[in-house]
Amino acid sequence: MSEKKIHEDQKYIDGLLNNNSFIIEAIYQKFVPKVVNYIKQNSGDAEQAKDIIQETIVTIYNQAKEKDLKLTCPFDAYFFLLCKRKWLNELKKKKNKEVTINEELLFKDDGAQELAYETLLFGEKQDLFNEMFNKLGKACKDLIKATFKINSMEEVAKSLNISYAYARKKKSLCIGQLTKLVQESPKFNQLNY
Amino acid sequence: MQEEDYILFDAYINGELSDDEILKFQDKMDSDLEFSSNFNLYLDTTIFLQNTIRNEDETNAFKNNLNTVSENYFNKEKTTTKIVTPKRKPFNIIKYLAAACIALLVGFFVFNQFSDPTYSDFNSHEPMTIVRSENNVKELIEATKAFNNKNYDKANSLLKKILDTDPNNSELQLYYAITNIELDNFKIADTQLNKIVVGKSVYKNRALWYSALSKLKQKDIDATIVYLKQIPEEADDFKEAQDLLDKLE
Repeated sequence: MSEKKIHEDQKYIDGLLNNNSFIIEAIYQKFVPKVVNYIKQNSGDAEQAKDIIQETIVTIYNQAKEKDLKLTCPFDAYFFLLCKRKWLNELKKKKNKEVTINEELLFKDDGAQELAYETLLFGEKQDLFNEMFNKLGKACKDLIKATFKINSMEEVAKSLNISYAYARKKKSLCIGQLTKLVQESPKFNQLNY
Repeated sequence: MQEEDYILFDAYINGELSDDEILKFQDKMDSDLEFSSNFNLYLDTTIFLQNTIRNEDETNAFKNNLNTVSENYFNKEKTTTKIVTPKRKPFNIIKYLAAACIALLVGFFVFNQFSDPTYSDFNSHEPMTIVRSENNVKELIEATKAFNNKNYDKANSLLKKILDTDPNNSELQLYYAITNIELDNFKIADTQLNKIVVGKSVYKNRALWYSALSKLKQKDIDATIVYLKQIPEEADDFKEAQDLLDKLE
């Protein structure tokens, strides 16, 4: 397997990771207008474009943080494809509405498709996990939150006023319950597990 | 059965199994497809929870910042009107004069490069853009305006007031510190900056840079150098810090 070369536009990913306002502003100045135009030409308005763009940037940020995202293609193509896919998914949800889609090939395929696909999948997984986490009971949610915030199971048990052994066991079962909810969701099969 | 599996998964992830148990676990992973796919999902879920919960504060800070940039961008888009380009005027003497002035200015700056660096070479602060404290929204807007208009006296007293109700907001601490450097209240500035430097916020590196600038303004060159050297390569101010370091050393 050959190592893919990291593109110089990795600076945008690193900037997002560092919460660098300059970089975020640069992304808006350079790459956002094209996305807004696309959404406006395809049954959307500026307000909807704003939401899609923000959600996309948060997904990129999360993937960078969690999976050490390395950009192997220009940011422009990658970002545009992501926003476009997200917008098309949004349109699909409102099936009853008549939509017009202007498909045109705006980029030659420089690896952006593949990377954008990975990011989309990552974002969908995160959405599913979040959705199912919220379905857990309060006791499980509290225990899981405490576990990953506090780090020491002894302290977690103390803070929740339960025994250490029970806290340990319950934590595994709560995470198990979450995996079950995820597995049982109809969305799960689309996620390449 | 399922419950026992979850407990086993957790023990494996936390490295609590004996060597024997690990071998057994790995054998089962190789031979039992359902077991291994359940484990992989359990692992993914654990990683998801770990990242989401542990990074909650940082992620929220990022989302707030993103939201500010997005609002600014889309509001500007709404209000942008077409700027009429002025008609070309005939070439005149004023242009010669302007060119001469620019030449003089360039000469001045080139000359300046070789003189000792001072605080005023570096105090073009990034504009303050935050309005993300839950209380005091009115004061925050006022403070932002005052800061960006270089009215540091006013920004300073407003920021002090807001910080009283939101004392751990490191973004506010940073801006408050900058106003104190501007007003020569070095002791307060340095204390505030130190709080950020020893903390874990995203403003850590910027706080190092401003600690250096504060020392530079106090003409404490040794301390300036010490701070500059701590600024890591990935910091936004790294290049400027290196330039300043080159001039000081």
